[in-house]
Amino acid sequence: MDIVPQLIANSLIAGSIYAILTLGFNLTYASAKFIDMGFGVMTAIGGYTVFYVSKTLGAPLWLGLIAGILLSGFVSFLAYTFIYKPLRARKSSGAVLLIASLGTLTAVQAVIAILFTSQFQTLSGLLHGNRVFELFGAAFTAVQLSIFCVGVLLFLLLAFLLKKTLFGKATVAIGDDEEVAKIVGIDTDRAMGRLFFLSGAIGGLAGILIGFDTGIEPIMGLPWLLAAVVAAIIGGIGNIYGGIAGAFLLAFAENFGIWKIAGEWKAAIAFGLLIIFLMWRPQGIFKR
Amino acid sequence: MEYLIHLAILVSIYAILALSLNLAVGYAGILSVTHAAFFGIGAYATAILSTRYDVNFFLALVVGAALTAVASFLIGAVLSRFRGDFVALGSVGFNMIVWSILLNWQELTRGPLGIPGIGRPELGIWNIEYSFSSNFSFLLLALCFLLLVYLAARFIERSSFGRVLKAIREDEEALEVFGYKALHYKLAIFTIGAMLASVAGALFAAYITFIDPSTFTINESIFILSAIILGGLASNKGAVIGAVVLILLPELLRFVGFPSDIAAQTRQAVYGLMLIVLMLYRPQGLVGEYKL
Repeated sequence: MDIVPQLIANSLIAGSIYAILTLGFNLTYASAKFIDMGFGVMTAIGGYTVFYVSKTLGAPLWLGLIAGILLSGFVSFLAYTFIYKPLRARKSSGAVLLIASLGTLTAVQAVIAILFTSQFQTLSGLLHGNRVFELFGAAFTAVQLSIFCVGVLLFLLLAFLLKKTLFGKATVAIGDDEEVAKIVGIDTDRAMGRLFFLSGAIGGLAGILIGFDTGIEPIMGLPWLLAAVVAAIIGGIGNIYGGIAGAFLLAFAENFGIWKIAGEWKAAIAFGLLIIFLMWRPQGIFKR
Repeated sequence: MEYLIHLAILVSIYAILALSLNLAVGYAGILSVTHAAFFGIGAYATAILSTRYDVNFFLALVVGAALTAVASFLIGAVLSRFRGDFVALGSVGFNMIVWSILLNWQELTRGPLGIPGIGRPELGIWNIEYSFSSNFSFLLLALCFLLLVYLAARFIERSSFGRVLKAIREDEEALEVFGYKALHYKLAIFTIGAMLASVAGALFAAYITFIDPSTFTINESIFILSAIILGGLASNKGAVIGAVVLILLPELLRFVGFPSDIAAQTRQAVYGLMLIVLMLYRPQGLVGEYKL
């Protein structure tokens, strides 16, 4: 039995999730220049909103999806407006912002656990059957196929947004130099608010996809955030396209790693890969 | 009365943890969120050595500290490669790895079952034999350790070593120019802090007499970090105050009568909010001197 095609399929699926998360993380890191740990918990917000709207209330699935993406984006926007914006206006150091965002993560995930208990939940019951496809000896479900497609679409959408629209140009300008961007008349506050909304919404989307594929729990944010950050560092931090490469490299390393080593060491493999990069190529695959 | 002694012992253990974390975060400016890992290594070393090999508590404590020193030195060397604030994320990752090892290396740690029946410390020098089996005697022992750790932290703060650390925290490049190897200083203090945390772990294992991996999660690290941020970074007094407040405050929730899971989550929510509010309105904490 040849396992390699299956491993490649698994890596592509895991890589797509990582890529989506890394896109969301890099989006705010590149412009706001601080590590937003609160981004992790947006996955749980997205997942649990779908759980509540579509499973508990019994509303149609599309409504749950929209609510999940919008709510996670909105919470991210609120966190920016009421926490990060005043801190940044005060020229607080990155460590202060990081601890504040750690507080956001801790508080929000505790609230979710109080509302929905800390049990593991799955969203796959909302789908009417999850077809299994086979290609070149690799099996994957319809959900996993859509994860890959969503990843590709999201990437194209973001690339278009950043390259062609005014908002994208403002974002890139803020990333280069916020002061100068302000001087030439870009409304940086508004652009930042939108960026955080977008980043949170992407996190929520990733959380929903994770919920359909495996499941959700309130504390899911931190592990997924770490994976996203590892992918971002490997790819070259703040570099959106590098992050994608990092995400897939990480996914391949993990999935081929647990072929030979027990699955519990997955986190250690990710860390090992990160160390290798920090030693020999600290700037990542693509330099920003 | 027993309840108050119990709280006092917990406060002493967490004050040791806070003091030791403050060495790395407050004095050297290493934003470490992995203290529960060292706490856990110390606790597990004591638990395994005393239940399986019948090693005396005090010897087990020393062995645990030595093991933690090796682990923390290696991880410190890795963390030093991270740029800026990414150290915090790297340390979170390390905490998760240690936790997953505690959970999955079942032959050694019994995994989620935990290790029960850890003995209370016994002292046997010459003809004097004494067992710290009553909670009151254990409290005295814990307070002795707390005093020792406090004095050690104060000694480090006031030594030339401590002054160099503070200077590195303020301006690493300048100190490099003066010929100080910032990396060596940071690694040294990181290792010392981790060893002291393992002492707290040994005390914790011997006091509760049962440990399992759920105590040494990332939440615990965040809790200890919250304690020193609340008390104030780079202040030994602040670290103790932070630990006292954060241990005693949630005990009030106990009297409100929430179910235990909800009470635990409410505590987490409060810690999170506290971090946000502190960062917004008082980043130096109650009595701290160092603003992040």
